[in-house]
Amino acid sequence: MMVGKDIGEPLTKMPKDVYYNGKDVPTFNAYLTIIVRDKDRKVIRVHRQRSHSPTYNFIYLLLPFSFYSTSGAKVTITNTSGGSTSWAPSPSYITYPNTQTNNPSYIIMIQVGNGSQSNPSAATKLAAPIPSGTGSGQLVYGAVSVSSNIAVSGNSAYFYIVQAFSNESGANVSITEIGIITQIQVNGVYCGNTVNFGSLLVWYDVLSSAITVPNQGTVTIYYTFTVNP
Amino acid sequence: MVAPDLVSEEDIAKLIIPDDLPNDEPSFKAYIEAKVYDKDGHLIQHHRQPMRSLTQYFLALMSIPLIGTFQSSSTNYATGILTNVLGLPSQASNNSDCAGIKWDFSIQLGSGSQEFSLTLSSLAAPIANGTGPGQLTYLSKASSYTGTSISLFITVQNVSGSTINVTEIGTFWNVQVLCGSCATTYNYNFLFSYDTFSTPVSIPNEGLATFQVTLEFSG
Repeated sequence: MMVGKDIGEPLTKMPKDVYYNGKDVPTFNAYLTIIVRDKDRKVIRVHRQRSHSPTYNFIYLLLPFSFYSTSGAKVTITNTSGGSTSWAPSPSYITYPNTQTNNPSYIIMIQVGNGSQSNPSAATKLAAPIPSGTGSGQLVYGAVSVSSNIAVSGNSAYFYIVQAFSNESGANVSITEIGIITQIQVNGVYCGNTVNFGSLLVWYDVLSSAITVPNQGTVTIYYTFTVNP
Repeated sequence: MVAPDLVSEEDIAKLIIPDDLPNDEPSFKAYIEAKVYDKDGHLIQHHRQPMRSLTQYFLALMSIPLIGTFQSSSTNYATGILTNVLGLPSQASNNSDCAGIKWDFSIQLGSGSQEFSLTLSSLAAPIANGTGPGQLTYLSKASSYTGTSISLFITVQNVSGSTINVTEIGTFWNVQVLCGSCATTYNYNFLFSYDTFSTPVSIPNEGLATFQVTLEFSG
């Protein structure tokens, strides 16, 4: 059978006729919600915006197994320290908990920074991360937390990641960029080929306006991921 | 020491899923495309529509590269999203080897329709793989990516003897938890997305069709 030559040629650009037209409801959305409180715990600002940018690391890790097995391709995973690993998910899969061996793959934190970068998908680290601490320009990082289930409301569902920060630096601290940092490890099922990719930036956003955290104030950041919002 | 926020769960839900944001570029776009060719290889139908219906299993799967599989660095239990939503084990039943997780996709076509739900697990009337009446031969599947998108493809052939109308499409993900000496094999299938076509896609006898599902983050 003769077939047209365009069969099998992937159309990787979003066609114009299915672009968002302001009427169709997108089937997936991600949001950033930032709540700033002063030293008396009074809410002084709530900032909300759409979140846009999984990084290349995220896309590489999400790709289906057959993409790698049929193409023989490997991808380069780059961590926040600049270290890189060439990887395909065989023979080393993302680690899963078992009863003894523990090469954990887990979320480390929501990281905040005061820089920006123009191509968020290509980012491998924040432009200017704000360290955790009480020194000048620093914020004290609380523990990151993830909802333990997906909340459902009608045909909509979501989960969120939340982390709080306090400013004990003695002066205002501004936040202009935010990312999700996750440690991913891979191993073979007989424990060979273990590789720790390290801390990976998997999601990154530049804020639409800077967030100022006053001295002795706190800021709580929610990342929400939802389908059929 | 910093505690997470003090507002109530109800307040949080109102805040973190805003419905009052400006009508700006969405975080994500998705579409479905079908191309139908007759027995001579001529393109006879080209259908494209936005994709609208992701299930909660999409969120659960995307949580793996986002937050990992472990609850934290100090516990070897799987995240609540994986166990509660996907039903994966909290630990692979293995005490000597390592465990890992992998996933792959498939696309299924159907000739029915049904109301969407977040926990949908099958098509209304799946079209079976074969050459009998009402069946399609599922040929090769493929996938591709750009920095911000993932595309999934399936090619089908109709040698059933008559035209077949495709009215629904579902993307399935097979998730496997693997470990070296596990007595139990963990193998799960989830319906990741479900959509009905705004107009049926008709594949003539001896015709061929490719169906494409593309998920694009705006970057």
